[in-house]
Amino acid sequence: MTPETDDDLHAYADGQLPEARRLAFEQAMARDPALAAQVAEVRRQNASLRDAFDAWLAEPVPQRLLDAVRPPVRGATWRRLVAPIAASAATLVLGLAGGWYARDAALERAGLPTTFPRQAALTHALYAADANRPVEVWASEEKRLANWLTRRLGFPVHPPDLNSAGYALVGGRLVAGAEQPTALFMYEDAAKNRLTLQARKPPSGAGDTAFRYAVEDGVGVYYWIDDHCAYALSGTLDRAQLLAIGRLVYSELAPEKK
Amino acid sequence: MAAAALAHGLDAAFARNAGASAMSADPPLPHPDLVAAIPRLRRYARVLTGDATRADDLVQETLARGWEKRRLWAAGTDLRAWLFTIMHNVFVNQRAVNMRDAQNVSLDGDGESGTAWQLPVRAPQQAHVELAEVLREVTRLPREQREVLVLAAVEELRYEEIAAVLSIPVGTVMSRLSRAREKLRRAVGEPRTDAPAPLKIVR
Repeated sequence: MTPETDDDLHAYADGQLPEARRLAFEQAMARDPALAAQVAEVRRQNASLRDAFDAWLAEPVPQRLLDAVRPPVRGATWRRLVAPIAASAATLVLGLAGGWYARDAALERAGLPTTFPRQAALTHALYAADANRPVEVWASEEKRLANWLTRRLGFPVHPPDLNSAGYALVGGRLVAGAEQPTALFMYEDAAKNRLTLQARKPPSGAGDTAFRYAVEDGVGVYYWIDDHCAYALSGTLDRAQLLAIGRLVYSELAPEKK
Repeated sequence: MAAAALAHGLDAAFARNAGASAMSADPPLPHPDLVAAIPRLRRYARVLTGDATRADDLVQETLARGWEKRRLWAAGTDLRAWLFTIMHNVFVNQRAVNMRDAQNVSLDGDGESGTAWQLPVRAPQQAHVELAEVLREVTRLPREQREVLVLAAVEELRYEEIAAVLSIPVGTVMSRLSRAREKLRRAVGEPRTDAPAPLKIVR
């Protein structure tokens, strides 16, 4: 059909095709709609696989697996080797560490918000429900908001314009992330339904991804990585509506990055 | 997401933890980066074994070895890929040892009746049905294709990393990936209808 190989098709769809080959492949796609359709199909399949398999990640971790990644209690051996004078101090240290460990384990079992979509959904639920102070800086000070968050995140962020979808900016705030601070922008439609868009620096080495979808505690989340920024769009809309807004966010953010 | 925890290396994480027990060589805390990797290891173990209990046994063995060999992990490389490699080796060795398993060379379909492939009930009903179908069809792929597909599409490992994890050439990764995708595409079918799908024949 085309001079492009099957390997190139997969590598392109997975975002693994080297720069030089990518341009050639994109030109081939432009010439050959069937090739473009194949790429789209692979990406659709990837997205549904992730949707299906990501659900497993939220399951609580059994204690025996947590126990496997720490040393067996060595206090006994240790104390035999060290002067008795240190023993009580050691006991105290181990006791404190044990308490801290128990907390970690409890959090793990309770379902630590480890994944980005989960964290985004929980953050959304927390602030979207806040009638009086959902944001720290209101939309009336949009420029100040963007400057502040840009400074704190260490790369340029600004709220995209979602008015064409019927959502007006409420404002924004800085929220804690697992590794990196996260910028949160909140939007509201005429019926006071709220959406949040969260943005943060992705893990090092993470490349661009397609849109992915997750449902966490009743909150739908579309999340993706584009041009060195991880985004999560959260709301209690249905999937199709949320996706449409996700596409709008994407297109609003895309042009000015170039 | 897990990758972010990896950048600073296992030993750096050790140093952080060691503060809590300055005089002991090993911190008594679970290793944070290894803990962070557990959900993905469990997921991949289920893909390999098709059985939730056997999967957790495999994860436990993998974590134990990862813990023992933690200082051999090369900082800056993907911890997940390193752990997947350990898991793959443990899995292959166990199968070789276990003659009963060895006779049953392919695990195709193993998980179909097992609990491993049940989706946690989180997604809304409509999505749930679709996702369950995807999972079911993945279980029907030969294990060799299933593992490549999941590592590439779900874990998003680079092809070279997958080749290293599975100890196979990159060309083999590509051909398995291609076959897996094609089979899955045919099985799941492009246009989804609300009508109950007839049983599809997968060869």
